[in-house]
Amino acid sequence: MAKVLLIEDDSETAEEITAELTDRGFEVEWSSNGIDGLDMARSLRPDAMIVDRLLPGMDGLTVIEALRKDQVRTPVLVLSALGAVDDRVRGLRMGGDDYLTKPFAVVELIARIEALLRRPVETRETTLRVGPLELDLIERTVKRGERRIELLPREFRLLEYMMRRSDQLLTRAMLLEEVWNYKFVPATNLVDVHMGRLRHKVDGPGDTPMIHNVRGAGFVLRTLS
Amino acid sequence: MATSESIASREEIGRQELMLQVGFIRSNTFRWASAVAGVLAVFVVVLFGFIYWKIDQYLITRSDRMIAQQIRYIAELPPERRINAIEDHLAQDSRSVQFAGLFDPKGNLLAGNIEQLPEGLEIGAPVRTVKVARAERKELGDPLVRAIAQRLPNGDTFMIGRNVDETGEISHVVGEALALGLLPAFCLCLLAGAWLSLRAQKRVEEVNQRVQRIIAGNLRERLPHRNVDEPFSRLAAIVNGMLDEMETMITALSGVGNDIAHDLRTPLTRARLTLERGRTNATTLEQLQEVADKAIAGIDQSLTIITALLRLAEIENSRRSAAFGSVALHQMVREVCDVYEPIAEDKGINLGVRIADDLEVRGDRDLLFEAVANLVDNAIKFTSAGGRVDLELAREDRETIVRVTDTGPGINRQETEAVLRRFYRSDKIRNTPGVGLGLNLVSAIVKLHGFRLVIHPGPGGRVEIISPDGKLN
Repeated sequence: MAKVLLIEDDSETAEEITAELTDRGFEVEWSSNGIDGLDMARSLRPDAMIVDRLLPGMDGLTVIEALRKDQVRTPVLVLSALGAVDDRVRGLRMGGDDYLTKPFAVVELIARIEALLRRPVETRETTLRVGPLELDLIERTVKRGERRIELLPREFRLLEYMMRRSDQLLTRAMLLEEVWNYKFVPATNLVDVHMGRLRHKVDGPGDTPMIHNVRGAGFVLRTLS
Repeated sequence: MATSESIASREEIGRQELMLQVGFIRSNTFRWASAVAGVLAVFVVVLFGFIYWKIDQYLITRSDRMIAQQIRYIAELPPERRINAIEDHLAQDSRSVQFAGLFDPKGNLLAGNIEQLPEGLEIGAPVRTVKVARAERKELGDPLVRAIAQRLPNGDTFMIGRNVDETGEISHVVGEALALGLLPAFCLCLLAGAWLSLRAQKRVEEVNQRVQRIIAGNLRERLPHRNVDEPFSRLAAIVNGMLDEMETMITALSGVGNDIAHDLRTPLTRARLTLERGRTNATTLEQLQEVADKAIAGIDQSLTIITALLRLAEIENSRRSAAFGSVALHQMVREVCDVYEPIAEDKGINLGVRIADDLEVRGDRDLLFEAVANLVDNAIKFTSAGGRVDLELAREDRETIVRVTDTGPGINRQETEAVLRRFYRSDKIRNTPGVGLGLNLVSAIVKLHGFRLVIHPGPGGRVEIISPDGKLN
C-alpha cells in the first residue's frame, strides 16, 4: 500500500483529499504546515507527497528544495492557487515532479498521484509491448498482432506515451501537457479528436477495444488479459 | 446643531489660516526669497563700501596735491612776506581744517596754529599722516592730518597740513544713503517672497483639496488651471490629462467587472437551478448523478472563465521579454496545423497551410503557439462545414506575417475593435460555445511581443499577427 504525505493548510481540502485517497487504497498522513511537513517527510519516508504551494511557516517549494538538498527523491505533486508557472516550478517539473492548479477535479489529482507513483522505468528496450500491441521505437512502426498500424507522428507519440503508462488513467490535461506540450487548455477538445482517430486505428473492427474513455476523467490503455 | 457646526467650521478655517502662516515661513519659496534678499544686502554693502573707499582715496590724493602746491608757494615767497601769507592762509579757512607752522632753527613757532613740529614728520619727505598739537583751542583735541614739511633757505622749518576728517563725513553720508536704499529693498524682497510663497501655498492647498476629493472617489474632479503659460498651470493640465485617461480606464474596467459578473453568473445560475430541481425531483441515484454532472459542468465553465481571466492578467503583467528566444515560425505554424487538421476534418472543413519561407522572430515560443492556435481554433469554430480555413506565413514589405483566413462570417467593420473587448461576442454567434476571451489573449500576447494584431472586416475572417523587422522588443 502506497504511503502519501499531504501537506495542506486548509483542513477541509485536506479532509476531502485524504478521504478520496484512502478510498482508493492509499495510506495518507497529513500535516498542516511546512515545518512539520518537512519533519514528517524525513521521518515517514512516504512514497509520494502532495504539497500546497502556499503554507504557513515555510512555503511548499522551500520544503521540496530542502528535501532535495537532503537527497530525498520522493516524487511531489505541488498544488497551487497560482496559475502562473514560474521558473521555480519549471525547475521542479524537470525533476519529474508535477504541478496542479487549484481548483482541480479529484480524478485529476488521483491520476497524477498514480502517475507519480508508477513512473515508467527507463528501459533500454527499443520495443514497447502492451498485450497484442507492439511499438518499435527505432523503426517507428506499430503492430497489433499481425496487423500493421499506420500512425502519424503525433499519434505515434500519443500511443508511445500511453503504452509506457498502460492501465493508468491519463487525463486530458496530462496528455495535453506531455504529448502536445501545451502550456494552456485550448477551447476545442483537441485530445478527444486525436484520441478518437488513434482509437479507430488501434481498435479495428472485430478487435477487443484497448483504448477506453473514462467518462469525465480521461483515457486508459488497458492490457487485454 | 447648525450653530455648533458653523463654529466648528470657523475654528477650522482659523486653524487652517494659522497653519498657512506657519507654512509659508517654512515654505521653500519664502526661504529662497530671504536668501536672495540677504545676498542682495551683502552686495549693496560691498558696493557702497567700495564707493566709499574710492571717494576717500580720491579726496586724500587731491588734498595731498593741494598741500604740496601750497607749501611750494609759501616757501618760494620772500621771508618777510611769509608770515603774512601763512596767516592769510589760515584766516581763509573757515572750517579750520588747515594747519601750518613756521619754526626757527631752535624750534620756536614763528607763525601758524601748531605748537610744535609733529613727531614722525620727516622734513622733505612726501605727504603723510601725523598727529598735530593745536596752538589754540586745545579742547578740540589733537587731530590727525595729512602734512608735509620743508627746510627753508634761511634755516627755518615750514610745515603745512590738512585735516582729512572730511572723509568721515562722507562715510556718514554714504551710510545714510545705504540705510535709505537698502532697508526698503530688503523689506521689498521679503515681502515679494512672502507673497509668492503664500500664493504657491494657496494653490497647493487648492490642489490638495481637489486631490482629496479624487481620493474620496470623485473621479470627475480636475485640478484648477488658468489658461496661461505658467509652470503651475502646465503641471495641472498634465495631471488633468492623466486623470482623464485614468477615468476612462477605470470606467472601462468597471464595465469589464460587470461583464465578468454576468458571464460567471449565467453558468452558476444554471448549476444552482439544476441542483435545486434535482434535489426535489430526483428519485434514483442515476438521476441524482446526472444532476450532479450537469452542475459540475456549470461550475467548470465558471472556473474556465476565471482561469482564462487569470491567464490574461498573467500575460498582460508579465515582462518576460528577457526570456525571449528565436522562434522558428515555419515549424510552429506547421505544428499548429498538425494539431488542428483532424478537428477541421471532423467538421468537414478544409484546413490549408502556406509557408513562404523559413522565418524566425524573437519571442516566447509557447505564447506565440498559443496565440496562433487560438486564431485557428476560432476560425474553425466559426466556419461551417464545407468551408475553408487557411493558415499562412508570409513576408510582405519588411514584415513577417502570420495570417489566418476563413470562409466563415468574419467580423463586421464596426466590430473589429469591439472583438478585442473582454467577453465580447458578436450577437450573430452568441449561441456558439466559448468563453469569449480568446482574442483578448491573442491581443495580449501580441502586445507583449511588440507585434501588431490586425483584424480585417468580413465577409470572411482574416486576422493577422504582424512582426515588423528591426523590432528588438
